[in-house]
Amino acid sequence: MKRMLVYIDEEAVDDSIKLLEVGRLLYGDQGFRSYALAAGGRIGEAGSRFDCVFRASHGPVPNYDSATLARCIETLHQTYGFDAIVVPGTHGGRMIAPRAAMRLRAGLVADVTGVGLNGDDVLMVRPAFSGRMLATIVCRGGGPVMMSVRPKVFTYLEPALKTAEFVEVDVRDARLPGVRLIERREQAEARDIRESKVLVAGGGGAIHDFHLLERLAKALSGMVAASRKAVDLDRAPRTIQVGQSGKIVRPRLYIAVGISGSAPHVAGIRNAEYVISVNQDRHAPICSLSDIAVEGDGRAFLEGLLERIEAPRTKIHGGRE
Amino acid sequence: MRILCLLKPVPDVDQLRYDRERNILVREQARLLLNPEDATAAATALGLKRVAPETYIEAVSMAPRGAMPHLEDLVRRGIDRATLLSDPRHAGSDTWVTSRVLARYLSTQDYDCVFCGTHTLDGGTGQVPAQVAEVLGLPLMVGVSTLVELDPRARQAVVEVEGEAALMRFSLELPAVLGFQYNAEHKLPHIRYADLTRDVSERVAVLGNRELRMDEAELGLRGSLTQVRRIEADALEAKDPLRLRGDREGIDQVYHWLEQKGFLQP
Repeated sequence: MKRMLVYIDEEAVDDSIKLLEVGRLLYGDQGFRSYALAAGGRIGEAGSRFDCVFRASHGPVPNYDSATLARCIETLHQTYGFDAIVVPGTHGGRMIAPRAAMRLRAGLVADVTGVGLNGDDVLMVRPAFSGRMLATIVCRGGGPVMMSVRPKVFTYLEPALKTAEFVEVDVRDARLPGVRLIERREQAEARDIRESKVLVAGGGGAIHDFHLLERLAKALSGMVAASRKAVDLDRAPRTIQVGQSGKIVRPRLYIAVGISGSAPHVAGIRNAEYVISVNQDRHAPICSLSDIAVEGDGRAFLEGLLERIEAPRTKIHGGRE
Repeated sequence: MRILCLLKPVPDVDQLRYDRERNILVREQARLLLNPEDATAAATALGLKRVAPETYIEAVSMAPRGAMPHLEDLVRRGIDRATLLSDPRHAGSDTWVTSRVLARYLSTQDYDCVFCGTHTLDGGTGQVPAQVAEVLGLPLMVGVSTLVELDPRARQAVVEVEGEAALMRFSLELPAVLGFQYNAEHKLPHIRYADLTRDVSERVAVLGNRELRMDEAELGLRGSLTQVRRIEADALEAKDPLRLRGDREGIDQVYHWLEQKGFLQP
């Protein structure tokens, strides 16, 4: 029976639990015993999804305390001998996994998008060169297989129901001072662009047209997204940035206005079902990824399409008056 | 105050070309550029030096010799010293090896803080800052959007991170490793005309494994704990798009397409 540990980030509990899918793909539903490290205190449904849930015995250890959590993972591994350790690619997870890998002398693969077995070797697939290439990577050496996985890359649709055994872990000896949270300001609660079926995105060629993008997104029951250029120019918040350094999205429809389609951006939308791009340059890289490539001015297109979409409603509205 | 900046020259990914016949990535024509987030880190350090001129900044890079002109340019832009860790035995190193080589050099230096980018454009694992921090036993924060304060006397750094759900402010005990997020406002200064051809050879150095004295079995491909089995162009097929003009007729066609696919509410 294989053993797999999943780190549960208290800020992404559900997404962390879904990483059980990695174990299912590798070992099959019955082929592994699942362990959750929920040191941050929040466990969500972990109690009915995992065989065993570890909690910190003397108060939670927050996800930004990467040094302590790396030591905690090391200690658990010494006791349980995990075959695989999977960490969500959250802000905290991206600090914890590399530190833990260093302590365990284990190979670590980041941003894994696919897994498989070749004999006893675990094969991990990840994008490289900003998504231009796919690299298949194996871990060497005696350590466990370690990987970080971006949220919402794997789906775990039919979870096996379990009753977890809860184990308290004493991390007091592993605690290192060094990082303190001194202030936290919640961002306005916003829907996650990764949840939206339709995204209307603006880039460097649409920085003055975000109000039109908003209107179109609303008309299509979708959300507005942005390229890094628009974010860097302060036209959009980083939370709606699409691409390698932003979010990986998989909407049914992605409308890209004034986005040329640099490799890092394209890496974020390769799973979109349909892409419509609007660009002045008919040779922009995004065109080869598009189902419809519109050559022309972004603003004129948005205004024209909005007029077309909103027209019938305006008439009905007018008729009632 | 002494700041060490970890920097990596990376190929411009938009210039990479994939040779389908030979199944390789053609990197030769792609120019090298300083990884943008690393440049933000260096520019942030130079910003501190403008306010506190006694600040000493050293750039450290583990790269082939071809990276030297980038390091020399950094000195011309105001960085005090640049060290290139370069050895043929480094070729093929994964993040485990890379972090240990960097940490090996750092452990011989005095510093108050290590600055670097959070991610690189090429590999993009974002693992090196954390792994260097772990080898050296240092506090770490990545994704830093703003450096609020760096106070070597109080041994404290205060940074802001724009998280998913919240804006967070952290304090870290120095020395610490800070991984910066790209920030277009922090640009490296231009090289002054008089400095364009300045001889900076006294301020740059190349160290190989002869100086770093690491076990050769722990370097390069041989020492790596991860191994690339296969690398292939992503099977993303280029689509053959329907080409439209942005005129009335084109907009009409888009409208009908949206309607037909069910994206317009009835």
